[in-house]
Order: sequence, then C-alpha cells, then structure tokens
Amino acid sequence: MNLLLSTSLKCSRHIRPSLRCSATRYLQTTINKDEINHFSKLSSHWWDEKGEFGLLHRMNPVRVQYILEKLQEVEEAENTVSSSSKYLNGRALSGLDVVDVGCGGGLLSEALARLGANTLAIDASESNITIASLHASKDPLLTGPNAKLEYRHTSSEELIKESRRFDVVCSMEVLEHVDNPALFLHSCCDLLKPGGHLFMSTVARTPLSYFLTIFMAEQVLRKVTPGTHHYDKFVNSEELVNFFHEEMGWFTGVPGRLQAESRGIIYLPWKDEWILAGRNDPFTTECNYMFWARKPL
Amino acid sequence: MLRFLTTSGDNTESVDIAIVGGGPAGLALACALSSSQAIRESLKITLIEGGDLSKVRTWQGHGDIYSNRVSSITNASRQFLEDINVWEKVESERTTPIEEMQVWDGISDARIVFAANELSSVSSQPIQEMARLTENLNLQRALLQCLEAYPGVSLLDKTKVDAINQMDNGWPVLSLANGRKIQTRLLVGADGFNSPVRSFANISSFGWSYDTQAIVATLSHIPRITTEYQGPNTTAYQRFLKTGPIAFLPLSPTASSLVWSTTPSLAKVLLQSETGVLAAMINAAFRLPYISLDYLQDAILQSHSQGTPLTTPAILDEIRWREKSHGIDIQSAHSSCQPVDELVGIPPAEADLLPPLVLSIQEGTAASFPVRFNHAEAYIGEGEGARTALLGDAAHTVHPLAGQGLNLGLADAQSLARCIETAVLRGGDIGSYTALMPYPQERYFENHKIMAVTDKLHKIYRSDLGPVVWARTVGVEVLNELLPLKAAMMFQAGAQSTNNHFSKDMSAFKLLTLGVEFASSGMDLAKSLLKNLGGAANSVFQYSNKLK
Ligand SMILES: Cc1cc2nc3c(=O)[nH]c(=O)nc-3n(C[C@H](O)[C@H](O)[C@H](O)COP(=O)(O)OP(=O)(O)OC[C@H]3O[C@@H](n4cnc5c(N)ncnc54)[C@H](O)[C@@H]3O)c2cc1C
Repeated sequence: MNLLLSTSLKCSRHIRPSLRCSATRYLQTTINKDEINHFSKLSSHWWDEKGEFGLLHRMNPVRVQYILEKLQEVEEAENTVSSSSKYLNGRALSGLDVVDVGCGGGLLSEALARLGANTLAIDASESNITIASLHASKDPLLTGPNAKLEYRHTSSEELIKESRRFDVVCSMEVLEHVDNPALFLHSCCDLLKPGGHLFMSTVARTPLSYFLTIFMAEQVLRKVTPGTHHYDKFVNSEELVNFFHEEMGWFTGVPGRLQAESRGIIYLPWKDEWILAGRNDPFTTECNYMFWARKPL
Repeated sequence: MLRFLTTSGDNTESVDIAIVGGGPAGLALACALSSSQAIRESLKITLIEGGDLSKVRTWQGHGDIYSNRVSSITNASRQFLEDINVWEKVESERTTPIEEMQVWDGISDARIVFAANELSSVSSQPIQEMARLTENLNLQRALLQCLEAYPGVSLLDKTKVDAINQMDNGWPVLSLANGRKIQTRLLVGADGFNSPVRSFANISSFGWSYDTQAIVATLSHIPRITTEYQGPNTTAYQRFLKTGPIAFLPLSPTASSLVWSTTPSLAKVLLQSETGVLAAMINAAFRLPYISLDYLQDAILQSHSQGTPLTTPAILDEIRWREKSHGIDIQSAHSSCQPVDELVGIPPAEADLLPPLVLSIQEGTAASFPVRFNHAEAYIGEGEGARTALLGDAAHTVHPLAGQGLNLGLADAQSLARCIETAVLRGGDIGSYTALMPYPQERYFENHKIMAVTDKLHKIYRSDLGPVVWARTVGVEVLNELLPLKAAMMFQAGAQSTNNHFSKDMSAFKLLTLGVEFASSGMDLAKSLLKNLGGAANSVFQYSNKLK
C-alpha cells in the first residue's frame, strides 16, 4: 500500500501527505515488483557513462561531496576529529562501516569503497548486483585482498534481521521508487548505530520537479527512460523532516544543523553538470535534493 | 564473486597514472599531480620518456649564451608554476620580463602596442609584466628538480613506449622497449605532435601544415640598457611579413631570441648561408619596406639555386643600396646599416619602435621547425581507447606567432591535475569518462579560441585574395585581427583563476525556478510553452555534448 496519498498535479503544492508507518512493521516488503523489473532491464546500461545513466554518473561526485562535507561539519562541531587531513588525502571514510541501500550498478558504492569505507552494497534486483559485481571485478583496487566492497542481493528489511549495524546508511534515488516509504525509512534507521548518519537523495513533488524529471528528462529530451519516475511517489523535504520529527522522534521542532538537513542538487544543462546548492538558497530543494539526518546517540 | 580475466601476465606492473612524454607538458603534469596531497597519498604514477632526461637535469646556462628554444611564460602559467613550487626552482637571472609588445604590419605599417600596465585594468593587482621569457631547458630542469622531491613518481627515461593495447578489463597496457609491461588506470599522452597515445585512443585530429618553417636562433645585438634615453631590453617585437611573422624576444641587454616563420625554401637557404647573411636579413626583415625585402629574399634564393650563395658583404651592400633608394638615412633607427661604433649614448629617434641591431648569431643556435595547426578532435578517449587523456602538443599544435604553445600545455596540465584531484577526493575512478570530462570542458574551447585567432592571422598574411590584400595595405584587416589576438594574449597574461561560476549558475537556476513556479499556475499554458523551451534546451544539450 502506498502511504503517500496519490495527488493530482493541481493540488500537489497544497497537500502535504505525512509519512506514517503502518502498524505491521517489516511484515510487508517495500519492494515494488514493477520497479525492480524496470531497473533489471536497464542494468546493462548502468556503466555506460554517456547513456541512460549518464546524469546519475555526473551526479555521483556531488552526492559524495555532500556526504563528506556533512560528516566533516559534524565531526568538527563535536571535536571528535583527530585531524581534518583525512578529508584531504582521499581516504575520508576510512574505518567507517557503510551500507548502500539500493546500490544499483554500484556507482556510489565504488566511490565509498575507494574512500576507505567498509562498504556493504545491497540491491533488491539480482541483475543489478551481478552488473555491479562484474564492474567492480575489473578494478584491482576493488577486488584485491584489501578490497572493502561487498555486494549482496538483499533488502534493507532482510538485512535488519542480522546484527550488523552501520555508521552511515546511504540510499540514493531509492525513496521515490519504493512502495511503502515509511516502512523503508524505518528499516534504514534501524540499520544505523546510535549517532549514525542517514544520507538519502530523492526528488521533491513540485511543479519544478515534474517539469525537469518527467517532462523534460523523460518526455522531451529522452535522457531518462519514460516510466522511470512516478510523480506521486516523489517526496518533499518537509515531509521527510516531519517524519523524523513525528514518527522517529529524532528531534523536536525545526531540526538543528547537527540533526537534519536538506540540500538541493541542481542540474545545469548548459554545462551538463550538477552542483550542490548553498545551504540557504531558496527553491533549491524543489527538485533533486539530498537529505541527511543523524540518529540520536 | 565474478572474477575478471585479464590478458596480463604476472610480469605486468600496475599503476594508476602512466604519463607518456617528458616534455614540458608531461613534466608539468607530473609536478602538478605530486603537489596534491590526495594524489600523492593514493595514486601510483609513472612517467615514461624516450629521450635522456639527465641532459636536462644537468643543464647549465652560461652567461650570455642562450638556448634557442625559448618560451614566453604568461602570468597565468607562472602563477600555476608558483602554486606547484616549480617557479622558485627556475633560475630567475636567466629569465626576462616582457613589459611591452610592439606588433606591426609589414605592408601598411599599421601598429599596435600593448604594455603590461594596461593589464592592471583587468586585474585586482598592478601588473608589471605580461610574460616572462625562459629557456625551455631552464623550466624543464626546474620541473625535474621538483619531481625529485616527490619519490612517488617514478621516472623512466631512455625508455620508449613500443606498443599500447587494451586489456580485457578496459585498462590500457604499455609495452616498453626494455620489455616491461605496465597496465594503467589512466594513460596520459604528453607525447608531442606524433602522439602514440592519440593513435592508440583512435582520436583523429584535424589540421594542416602551413607550408611554413619557423627559424629559431639566439641573437647577439647592440646593448639595450636603461639610460636617460631608452628603456631596458624588455620589449618584444613582431612584424607581420607576407611570408609569416618575424619575432624578437628579449633575453638580456645584449641577447634576444628569434622566431621567424617563413617559407620552407627561404628557411633552408638562410640556414645554409653564412650566419652574417642571416643576421643582416633579420635586421632588414624588421626594417626594410616590404617590396625591397621581397626582392632580397628572391635574390638569396636565386643565388643559392645557381650555386653561388650571396656573401655577407654582398647582402649588406644590397641592403645599403635599397635603403638609399627608399631615402632611409643610414644614421636613423630604420637603417639596418647603422654604424655600430657610434651606437652609444643617445639612440636615434624612434629606436624604441624597432629591436636593437643584431650583430651576430650565437653559434649553433640557428635551426628551424615546421609550423602546423593541429587540434585533436577530443582530449579524452572512449570505447577501445578509454582511460586516456591528451595534453600539450599531443592535443594541439599551434602557430608560434602568439607565443602560446607551451602555455596552452601548462594550462592543460593544471586543469587535468585539478580534475584528477577532485575525482580522488570524491572517490571517483580517475580513468572514467565522468572523472575526466571536466578537463576537456575546461580546456577544449579555450585552446580552440587562441588557435583560431592565430590561424586566421596567419592566413590573412599568406592570402593573395584581392580584398584581403587591399584591406592589409591600409591596415584595416590587420587591426581587426590583431585586436582579438591582443585580447586573447592580454587575457592569458592577466588571467586569475576564474573558478567562481557558482553564483552565476545559482542565479540562472533561480530564474528557471521562478519561471516554472509562474508557469505552474496554468499548467496547460505552461506545457505548450515548455514544449518550445524543450526544443531550445535540446539544442543546448546537443551543443554541450559536441563539446565533450
Ligand atoms: C624543433 C622545435 C622547436 C620549437 N621551438 C619553439 C620555440 O622556439 N618557441 C615555442 O613557443 N615553441 C617551440 N616549439 C613548440 C614547443 O616546443 C612545444 O609546444 C612544446 O615543446 C610542447 O610540449 P609537450 O610537452 O606537449 O611536447 P614535446 O615537447 O614534444 O614532448 C613530447 C615528449 O614525448 C616523448 N615521446 C614521444 N613519443 C614517445 C614514445 N613512444 N615513448 C616515449 N617517449 C615518447 C618525446 O621524446 C618528447 O620528449 C618547437 C617545437 C619543435 C619541435
């Protein structure tokens, strides 16, 4: 069941369906069969950097940039960082346990592993995992005895049954594709150690996002296969903030800088490049955005 | 877990970056990469050069004797070299600032002058010089010294790359002349005009040979020292002749460097002549009216074809006679035959419009090289040539008239190194298309602009078309073309880092947002409107795709 009320284009600006959790946690799965089939078909194209997933390839460095900036900001605010030099030597995530939920072809997972994270990357599509493993196997850095990257065909709901917990949970462009976002979010939160970081990227449900991701990207420019996005599944950043406030109780009122944050990621067609918007730039979370929240200690 | 089979045997070494070519571009890239902590601590780099680098390492300049391969280093290039701690190792006593440039047309005498202080208007700080002339060896030695401080880069010189292939995992593998094999995550071609890396990557290049040779030589001339009456030897002179431009680049009060682009046949006979003939012809080429210069050049060619080359006294006689018929006073600055002993004290009027009189050519410095226009169609390889990047002359060969060849290569090195560093800091695969794409985006069009201006200038001068020739005689066309050249050179010279496009991009995004907010109030209207917009945006996409 989709907890997000299906909304028409017209009223989308005015109705903010809240994310609430169904009572029977984890009895149902959040995986949508049609979505999985759709991506399985595409998975051979995952690593064609100029093809279908070109935009995602281009977005990846910006996602990583945000993850690193936020981790550094928190560490510095809490003075837990021994030296900030690890952010200058290309091993910024060394020693951290990270899970990439919905890893797709492994775009983010490979980057996390290169940065030194002990990376577990999971996906509900078996063919994605095959593609991702095959790709990683071509790179000696990711396959050698010191490799830090492991792929598994499983879901966050399954993984939660194991005892392993993580310093960082990443889930990129997944939330807008799952059937039960609240349940999905719960599973991600449960995978975190206390004080762990949840990073997501997703798409807001606004006229702008309709225009850019569905109308332009899918229909006009055909940069993205039509049917990739479903407008009514898009989630606004206020809805996420509400969820973590009301449902998870991670903070009260407006979250502080060290509790939760949304930051826009903006595509510049004239440069074919993404940039991370400034913290307080208006409108920037109206389309693609990163969301971060920290599980209380 | 799936295992990927590679063809590499056990003796294949593996590196992250292999740079082929230890010329200025390759060495500068290696230094720039090493100056980044992230790269130093995470990547293994090898540079392979066919030639013997110990000759460069042990090179010593001697007093007023200068090498004939000299380059002007723009302020932007110098800033880059300072940032990577190379400039401090360049022997500064052997470099000379260019504070002014005098450029004029051999037919109309239309002239533009640009001085370093004009740059101050485009820069935040006052600018004293627009470029600095440096022997290539002085720079290359500094680059090598700099690399010695970074043991992370292994230098293999006297080692030729014999073959390059692609392995099953998509990585290039180099076969070296000494039997070693090296597989690399990223292969960089800094291997000059005939770039083997470019051939491997199957990147075609477009261009043409200009049917022009550039004569280079180190000139000894009458001293130009700062006095009450004249400034120091810090002005570069360039006169555009129909056969190509002749340039005079100051090195010291009594020595300067020559770059004279001319027909291959004339270059050949001038280099075969007594050096006195070459010296006399250089003086004349800066001074004589074009018609007489043309006559002299023909006379030299003819005398050679008849097997009785003109001697120095004969050519001087000829010049004297020609000057007389043009009414040029032998005491004036416009004479190539000024009595040298009297050239102390007060210089003649307009002496600053011309380079000091050349007395002789330094021994063994007269040489020539072919001038070409050549631009690779891409700077990064794809498909079977994936994981490759080109820079320097491997990517572009440019006419020497704007003195930009080396500077373009240094700017490439700076940009590529920055691009690789960003990829490392973000966990990217430095050989991937995504990681490398910002490099051509930053450099391709920049290089093309400068190359196009120099190419057009060259062609205007070599043109026999009626209107072009007419426009030249009155100087119109020349000024029209020299001004963009000036702008390009001034910009290069004064360029500061221009990375702050962020706020511009943000405001463009805000406009888009507001537009869509507005349009969404009437979605149907918006849809039809946006359909048209979509067309426009599509062409933007196609355009930007082309650039890659
Ligand atoms: C004779 C000559 C004179 C010039 N004079 C001037 C001048 O006076 N002023 C000026 O501005 N410009 C001049 N130029 C142009 C200028 O030298 C170039 O723009 C500049 O050197 C380009 O630097 P680069 O590092 O890109 O290439 P290069 O300097 O050409 O370096 C390429 C290097 O790659 C190496 N290499 C190539 N193939 C292999 C292989 N298979 N294995 C191993 N190593 C290999 C070569 O040995 C060489 O050292 C001249 C060029 C030439 C050829």
